[in-house]
Amino acid sequence: MPDTVSNIGEVEFGSELPSFAPDTSTDNTKRFGKYVGWDSPRFTDHEGARKEGLPGAIVPGVLSQGFLGAMIHRWAPEAEIIAIDTVFRAPVLADTPHTITGTVTDIDEDEGTVEIDITITNEAGENRVFGTATAKLPT
Amino acid sequence: MILDLHTHSIKSDDGRAKVQNYCQWIRAKSVPIDGFVLTEHRQFDFESDYSELASKFGIAILKGAEVETEYGHVLVFGVNEGLYEEFDFSAIGLSLENVIEKCEKHGALAAPCHPGRPRVGMVAHLEEHGIPDGVRIVETMNGGSRGDEDAVAAKMAEDLGYLGIGGSDSHIVSHIGRCATRFPAVLATEGELVEALKAEEFEAISNKH
Repeated sequence: MPDTVSNIGEVEFGSELPSFAPDTSTDNTKRFGKYVGWDSPRFTDHEGARKEGLPGAIVPGVLSQGFLGAMIHRWAPEAEIIAIDTVFRAPVLADTPHTITGTVTDIDEDEGTVEIDITITNEAGENRVFGTATAKLPT
Repeated sequence: MILDLHTHSIKSDDGRAKVQNYCQWIRAKSVPIDGFVLTEHRQFDFESDYSELASKFGIAILKGAEVETEYGHVLVFGVNEGLYEEFDFSAIGLSLENVIEKCEKHGALAAPCHPGRPRVGMVAHLEEHGIPDGVRIVETMNGGSRGDEDAVAAKMAEDLGYLGIGGSDSHIVSHIGRCATRFPAVLATEGELVEALKAEEFEAISNKH
């Protein structure tokens, strides 16, 4: 399985997308917050987040979804992401290592779409976020 | 025979897996299970017939439920129409002892799942509610457990003399089979599963890497 695919015919059931370690640093969450107009300490400051009852600063959910989308586009640069459907089981803590993974679990060659299991796991191997993405690839 | 006793499909509100894709995945990845039980949240799926899929892939596909009690979430095996009339499967805060009693009345079996999990697991509620009557089996290996949740579950099971089962608690295709339960015999129906659990001859296993 190549690291990238350009059309639906190259996709195999069960193949794994190249995983990567997302930038979960508070520098990055601050940068993200600046662009989207969020300045809540829960995303940018560990002490401030703890005052809100969180274990520390957390990565915003939409930023996590952005990481997942980036993985899909690195794998299939010409893909159109139709949906990213995530279940947030536990917070993705900022400044801690995580891994983004994706696995192809359904292929519709007629429609040119693939379904991908997506996860964000921490160093302990715990799934913090899971879900599925649907992407349309050239036929 | 090895069965994953705790799985969810798109029938559950937070499930994202199609049953056909579970079957494809098990075969494509040689997942070491012979079948699985669909335990959808707060419901029992009377409608779906997976017999063709089961036959096509040579995989046992059984159905159960996951209900919510004051002690957290509970797997129910052997659901039938009589049991379904006894309490509201969609409710949260059901009485665990009532669920167990009704299961016994209708030849079913209830087993608290992920008991070591905060809020939705049995251990978190023992101090408030005490030790419930009637529990014999709990899920001691859960594929979605974080931190020491399985260890907490195993400790409770040991302390209270419960037997342990395993299930992946999969909500996406690629997570099926991470934990399961080994039985000495082949089980083809929900009734046979209940009988095997009542016979207390099984072993929880983990395939987590």
